[in-house]
Amino acid sequence: MRPRRLSAPVLLLLPAFIVLAAVVLVPLLLSLYSSFTPFRLTRPATFFTFIWFDNYISIFASRDFWWAFGRTVLLLTVALNLEMLLGLGLAMLVEKASRGQRLLRTLMMFPMMFSPILVGFQFKFMFNDNVGVVNNALQSLGLSNSAIPWLIDGGLAFFAISAAEIWSSTSVFAILILAGLLAMPKEPIEAARVDGCTPWQTFRYVTWPFVMPFAYIAMTIRSLDVARAYDIVKIMTDGGPAGRTELLWTLISRTAYGDARMGLANAMAYVSIILSIVFTVYFFRKLAAARVQIGAEW
Amino acid sequence: MMDDNATARFKRRLLKIAHQVGLLLAMVIICLPGIWIMLTSLRPPVEIMAKPPVWIPQEINLDAYVAMFSGVGKGGIPVLEYFRNSLIISVTSTVIAIAIGMAGGYAFARFRFRGKSGLFLGLMLTRTVPGIALSLPLFFVYARLGIIDTHFGLILAYVALNIPFTIWLIDGFFRQVPKDLAEAAQIDGCTRWQAFWQVEFPLAGPGIASSAIFAFLTSWNEFALASQLTRSVNSKTLPVGLLDYTAEFTIDWRGMCALAVVMIIPALTLTFIVQKHLVSGLTSGAVKG
Amino acid sequence: MRNLISGASAGAILLCLAGGAVAADLPGKFEGVTIDAKLIGGQQYEALYARIPEWEKATGAKVNVISKKSHFELDKEIKSDMASGNTSWCVGSNHSSFAPIYEGLYTDLTPLLPKEEIDAFVPANIAASTVGGKLVMLPRAQFDVSALYYQKSLYADEAKKKAYKEKYGEDLVPPDTWDEVTKQAEFFAAPPNFYGTQFAGKDEGIVGRFYEMLVAEGGEYLDKDGQPAFNSDAGVRALDWFVNLYKAKAVPAGTTNYVWDDLGAGFASGTIAINLDWPGWAGFFNDPKSSKVAGNVGVKVQPKGSSGKRTGWSGHHGFSVTENCANKEAAASLVWFLTNEDSQKLEAAAGPLPTRTAVWAWDLEQAKSDPYKSEVLAAFQEAAKHAFPVAQTPAWTEISNAIFPELQAAIVGDKTSKEALDAAAAKATEIIKQF
Repeated sequence: MRPRRLSAPVLLLLPAFIVLAAVVLVPLLLSLYSSFTPFRLTRPATFFTFIWFDNYISIFASRDFWWAFGRTVLLLTVALNLEMLLGLGLAMLVEKASRGQRLLRTLMMFPMMFSPILVGFQFKFMFNDNVGVVNNALQSLGLSNSAIPWLIDGGLAFFAISAAEIWSSTSVFAILILAGLLAMPKEPIEAARVDGCTPWQTFRYVTWPFVMPFAYIAMTIRSLDVARAYDIVKIMTDGGPAGRTELLWTLISRTAYGDARMGLANAMAYVSIILSIVFTVYFFRKLAAARVQIGAEW
Repeated sequence: MMDDNATARFKRRLLKIAHQVGLLLAMVIICLPGIWIMLTSLRPPVEIMAKPPVWIPQEINLDAYVAMFSGVGKGGIPVLEYFRNSLIISVTSTVIAIAIGMAGGYAFARFRFRGKSGLFLGLMLTRTVPGIALSLPLFFVYARLGIIDTHFGLILAYVALNIPFTIWLIDGFFRQVPKDLAEAAQIDGCTRWQAFWQVEFPLAGPGIASSAIFAFLTSWNEFALASQLTRSVNSKTLPVGLLDYTAEFTIDWRGMCALAVVMIIPALTLTFIVQKHLVSGLTSGAVKG
Repeated sequence: MRNLISGASAGAILLCLAGGAVAADLPGKFEGVTIDAKLIGGQQYEALYARIPEWEKATGAKVNVISKKSHFELDKEIKSDMASGNTSWCVGSNHSSFAPIYEGLYTDLTPLLPKEEIDAFVPANIAASTVGGKLVMLPRAQFDVSALYYQKSLYADEAKKKAYKEKYGEDLVPPDTWDEVTKQAEFFAAPPNFYGTQFAGKDEGIVGRFYEMLVAEGGEYLDKDGQPAFNSDAGVRALDWFVNLYKAKAVPAGTTNYVWDDLGAGFASGTIAINLDWPGWAGFFNDPKSSKVAGNVGVKVQPKGSSGKRTGWSGHHGFSVTENCANKEAAASLVWFLTNEDSQKLEAAAGPLPTRTAVWAWDLEQAKSDPYKSEVLAAFQEAAKHAFPVAQTPAWTEISNAIFPELQAAIVGDKTSKEALDAAAAKATEIIKQF
């Protein structure tokens, strides 16, 4: 039995590795290489000029880059935490509902069904200072008598972007946490109630530890799923005005295709990977710890 | 005694009302921007971004939808082709990603092997690479292989995009299935294969269902890779088609909203069908088994 | 893919055997040739492509549309093609503002087409399609220059006329200088319900608007050595125009985040008095289904700056033939066909502006019975006379991306105009060094 047991996981994981190697690994090496060149798309010959760390040096000296870096960390932290809290709340509300579960579960995922491009346009128009729905509503209700420049003021623009991002992605947390809740055995909760626990205690010591691994998986997925937020930010503000909402994603993609400076853009991308790795490793360790807590084997 | 009962009942009713109000409020917030988009597709543009605002639609018509299907040159776009491409690509890539994810997730949840946590983490790290760093090299490779503008190319890319998530998720759910259940089944004379399909697979249903929904919606809405790897009606998907409504200096926002509604219908349907598997997990299974 | 290429090269051999005298009688015969084409997609642009089968029938060749995408996506794709050396396709949609960026990709069309055909285009459009002495594209009937849209009723209001006369000592008439626009915009503005004017505030939009204002103020974007020269006094005056309107709250506060869709929605909502905008919106603004100001829209040639010159940042779409195309004659024939008189009439009938002299005359004739359309066309024909393309440098996009945040910084008050322009010039100098 023993040798078969050893080969089974290899066999099971093989398809995953083949696909990932083909689609991720080879392009990864190419782009890593090009980050050491002054590669300009419109001048293919520059792909073969090797300039060592020049791109990286100019990035480390670039204030704009580090501002964008900081803003991205802030947005990720704020948005992810809020999304998790709201997603958890939503999942619990839906799980407790006695009627219309199917409809509720489907509606809960409604925002995920809109293409990020469309979400970008929709929120841009909603937050338009002159004819947008938000200002119109505030003015109709008499809550404001001026046109609030939602997408101009740095703080407000950050809020507007976060709102769009949170609206479109809270569902991801909600669905994963809900799946976790639904998979949870009911006995421990019954036992807790019999023991006289308050609902908060039941949640804190029974439900939450069980659901936590799913929340962390969702966190990891979301922290990496950057493309979604990129489309939204690109359309809503494209980093402006005056760079007040510039994020890594808008900066890198403008450099890569607008400016056609792919080499430099790839170097930026590799610096920003550090960010993703930190987030991923952090959540992974949280996940492992959460599993130890509920006595699962790692 | 009576009093205690009464307060308890009162408390419970209060809690129930609070729950329903909260649920209603949450659903309204979730649905409003989306419903606004649907309404936009049905109203004449003059009402959409108006000042003073027009809250109650004065006129509803299907002009945008009629235009969409009325053929190229008459305000239409090749929506049927886009729809076909999107459906083929999303469904196929989801099915493949789930199959691979189940295999991988099972391996992580049920076997011990060397470098397991490293591999598990490494899987996710392949996703840390920003799309922008991948898109051009991927285009290079695809161009060499001649799979630009094909269904296969995009399916492959989406499978790779979704595998890490599906493995992580499904692994999580297999872990919740007590090992003894499968072992008991094996003692009862099942092979490992049978034990998997008859005991563990149904129990991991919620994980598979949620990752299927997630993978499908990701592929259905993905734009960045699709815009790089597709070119013509042979493989262009709906999100790329949305941009058919933009010209250099103008945009047909109502048309875009109409297309968005067309895009949502299959997503809603599929989610509605799949979501029932979210529950067929441990509770019901353990009782039956 | 390989099949197509060999098909095309077989065609080339055939053509060589047939001799080179084909150019004279367009569209010519290209039996068995296949042309790979990348076309700009989208509602507004695709009606023209329905004519392609006609060309196929006339020439015996086949057109294989290998890509159809929106403008910016196509730009990305073409850059990716150049980077990976996949440029053996033949015909590509092009734009005069982007043409200089695709260095060496497209071939000179002059030797491929009879001179009288090229002369039939508006000379300014041909000039803007010529990069480094090479005619890299043939203009289609998608020409863009901005003219001034305004709400007519404002200028017919006796109370407003009187108040304006008292305040400024001038008559209230649709403006002819940018200085008058400023005054009138401040006069009309009543935030948050009504604004004097608005402008594109981000990306290429603000750069283009600043660029034309700079020219109207008598300034230069790049000097004759190709170095940035926009941080001159004229540059400061040009930028101050935007800054002062913003400070005076005569424009919506969100204007620094607007691009064309927001601007169009704004004017159509009836909350903007004067609006410099593109011809593509003319129909939208005057359609009661899409616009509150329908029936109340006036159109006028764009105003002058202090130098007496009018603004007139312009661009047009067109088609190009690649240098690596295996059958340039056939490709050039297709490009000619898509921009010939019949094609231009087809496109111009739907609203866009033509680029052939004869089609302009035809277009005006057609519009005779429609007073609004006549007014629009007359205004835009006048506008086209003052039109000029962007500075022809491969660095245009990259410079634009570097300076638009600086322009925004001045407008929202983070920097003074001079500081912002100096910073922008410094960035632009760095960028130009790399070319």
